[in-house]
Amino acid sequence: MKDLLRMRTSLSEEIETLLNEQIKVEAHSSATYLAMSSWCNRQGFDVSADYFMKQSHEEREHMLKLFNYVSDLGGHAISPEVVNIPQEYDSFRDVFEKALQQEIFVTQQFNRLADHCMKAKDFVTFNFLQWFLQEQVEEEYVARRALELFDVIGEEGTGRYEIDKAIRKISYDNGGDE
Amino acid sequence: MPTPTNLHELFRTAFGAVYQCNRYNCYFVEFAGGISPFKVADFLDLKQHVDAINVAEMAKNPARAADVYVLMPNRSERCFVLTLTEVLRFQELLQGAKAMMALNSILHECLYSPAYC
Ligand SMILES: [Fe+2]
Ligand SMILES: [Fe+2]
Repeated sequence: MKDLLRMRTSLSEEIETLLNEQIKVEAHSSATYLAMSSWCNRQGFDVSADYFMKQSHEEREHMLKLFNYVSDLGGHAISPEVVNIPQEYDSFRDVFEKALQQEIFVTQQFNRLADHCMKAKDFVTFNFLQWFLQEQVEEEYVARRALELFDVIGEEGTGRYEIDKAIRKISYDNGGDE
Repeated sequence: MPTPTNLHELFRTAFGAVYQCNRYNCYFVEFAGGISPFKVADFLDLKQHVDAINVAEMAKNPARAADVYVLMPNRSERCFVLTLTEVLRFQELLQGAKAMMALNSILHECLYSPAYC
């Protein structure tokens, strides 16, 4: 008897569901960064507003990467419903703290996903996830560096103005290239 | 209707059956007095939908509208009007069929090799 399930897609129902959940997480991240960008704009933190806007675009690209993967393998990629986006933040520092927390959550999600793939012996998806796991190293690094500026520069006086300017200079370099 | 040789019974209960059609690469679901075809993805959608029906809510909600669940599967002529018992029977049927499909996949992976058989 023909294997119709496998002919439709190589993704198991479990992995397909988990990938769709991750699509939703990335969409939520994208929308959250957009809200952060808006908040920074309203408070006059011009550079940070641009920084979060750029992050928002990147998260959408992550979402599409996952989305296209599910589609390409014959699965059902679900356009996610995005709800509960926090629009208000207590302080400039609070925005960056929430951003780091979000990236940590995303890293944990990808670790769990990779674990499931390993257990399900889905090495194709496991391999696909390597890019994201690597990307999360950079994402966490940048978010952590940004938050550290609040201690390094200090918020007193023109501190927040300086912090905002310094955000633009953060870049990730794992030392491998030069 | 496809010829019987193309139709394999995947799972049967006292209240229905699911067949695989190797000619059209689809499944036939026989339940509640009718038989209808579903493409693979549509069958999986149907199963997810039926699994998600809140039977506890149907049981405790006294409103008459909650006595039945109206199910209109995508891309299908069929419309199911299910009582609580029928929902449970339908769930059992679809879950059993899905398990047999998964088993068939495992057998294929273990036994089927175009190069050797
Ligand atoms: Fe991301
Ligand atoms: Fe990120």
